[in-house]
Amino acid sequence: MEWIVLGVIALLIVWLVIIYNRLVALRQTAGQSWSDVDVQLKQRHDLIPNLVETVKGYAAHERGTLEAVVQARNAAISAGTPQAASAAEGALSGALRQLFALSEAYPDLKANQNFAQLQAELSDIENKIAAARRFFNNSVAEYNAATEQFPAVLFARSLGFTPRGFFELPEPEREAVQTAPTVKF
Amino acid sequence: MALGAVGLRTWQWNNKLKSLLLLAGFPVLLYLLSFAIVLLVGAGGADTVAGGLRDAWAATPGLFAFACIVAAIWFTIAALGNRWIVDRITGGREVTRKEEPRLWNLLENLCISRGLPMPRLGIIETDARNAFASGLFPKQYAVTVTRGLMESLTDAELEAVLAHELTHIRNEDVRLLVIAGVVVGIISLVGELVMRGRWFVFRGGGRRSRGNQGAAGALVLIAIAIAVLVYGLAFVLRLAISRNREFLADAGAAELTRNPDAMIGALRKIAGHSTIGDVPAQVRAMFLDDAQASGWWGTHPPLEARIAALVRHAGGRDPGPLPEPAATPPPAPSQDANPWHQAEAPQDAGQANPWAGQAGELPWWRRR
Repeated sequence: MEWIVLGVIALLIVWLVIIYNRLVALRQTAGQSWSDVDVQLKQRHDLIPNLVETVKGYAAHERGTLEAVVQARNAAISAGTPQAASAAEGALSGALRQLFALSEAYPDLKANQNFAQLQAELSDIENKIAAARRFFNNSVAEYNAATEQFPAVLFARSLGFTPRGFFELPEPEREAVQTAPTVKF
Repeated sequence: MALGAVGLRTWQWNNKLKSLLLLAGFPVLLYLLSFAIVLLVGAGGADTVAGGLRDAWAATPGLFAFACIVAAIWFTIAALGNRWIVDRITGGREVTRKEEPRLWNLLENLCISRGLPMPRLGIIETDARNAFASGLFPKQYAVTVTRGLMESLTDAELEAVLAHELTHIRNEDVRLLVIAGVVVGIISLVGELVMRGRWFVFRGGGRRSRGNQGAAGALVLIAIAIAVLVYGLAFVLRLAISRNREFLADAGAAELTRNPDAMIGALRKIAGHSTIGDVPAQVRAMFLDDAQASGWWGTHPPLEARIAALVRHAGGRDPGPLPEPAATPPPAPSQDANPWHQAEAPQDAGQANPWAGQAGELPWWRRR
């Protein structure tokens, strides 16, 4: 009889250890997939000074739009968490869209090879961001669901497995990320 | 978070657990089969049904140990034989970075990102769209794709297929399937012997008086029932493991590439184009898709089920079936397109035919 009780207790402990380890693994996956998103975001940030310089050469007096892009970029760089990045990156996408809309009025700028290449690179990165974002959100959803299931829900919070935020883009900006900026000639 | 799959990782864990449980079924089956044999041999000497069962159960472990040793020897032979079979049948050609930079770079990037040694890379010159992993031990590991697959998939889709095969290698699925094949082989061999052996037992086994005939008959019937059950279960179990490993490889592909859509896209494009010549089921089990057998007898789950699983667990988006092309050109005459039949292939077929070399030439992964 004692052996049965001991066995049941041992099984319970093993079960809890497995659940704990799984939570750790899921948190790890979510963290890793955030860094995948982050790598793409950084690449986008790195392209922007170059873009701004190129545009300045042709349309220096469009200071408002250019400054908005630079400001949005700086805000996006300093955003640490996915939720903060959601808003900042959304603003950056909006500012960039304005910049590209503005370039329509400057045929010389549109003809600039450097500009065209930057534009292509940015739209490629935005596709990658969209894919990485989906993977990240998927793993966050999985992690959050796992912390809310029984019996993990009893101890997950107190052991520091707090739910994580998604990387969401506001509706209009999401459109911008999903459909690459179109270039009309 | 006990059981349900709520995402990619939990889906993978569940599949691994399922594989393990299925695999654990094999020793159980072997044990039952040993029991059936002991029962059959001892049937003539039993006084009562219960007594006969008890005696047989006590004597089973010895035979079971023997069966395990046989399985180990058989595995060694099958491991070497499997290599020979794959060598003979899937005569692909090893390619280098220079010859196929696109394919090579995709595979190398995947390996680097996960710190895996780069397996060898092979190509089969055929229009069919398929791929497979081979090799039981690290030095033999190879990924082979068909030319048709390379040409029809985008970079992202091709990468997903390579990641699928790489996951087979990481999970050591080839070895697993060989083990499963060995156990099924032993069971079907012994099952056959049991079915024939019952005549021997009926005729020569009655050492005692006639009073035990009833008990002996009942015991023989029980033994045969067990053998038939084990025989059927072994087949179903092997196929279930094979299907389970495919789901795992799909999940691995989504995880490695971070792009479930690419795997879905690749599966959509493969649908209806995956059949390459006649290849034995043992080898087909390692293919990306095997359309020649389906349902309970399939080595692979149906494509629709695999896509649905990717959508459900990995957050993929399914674009739906591809529109059928109005008229596909008839396949090229077999003189250079079919690498599967050595006898029919003319010697002058040139580069396109992997069999075209000298008769004694070894397939690419056996050279050096």
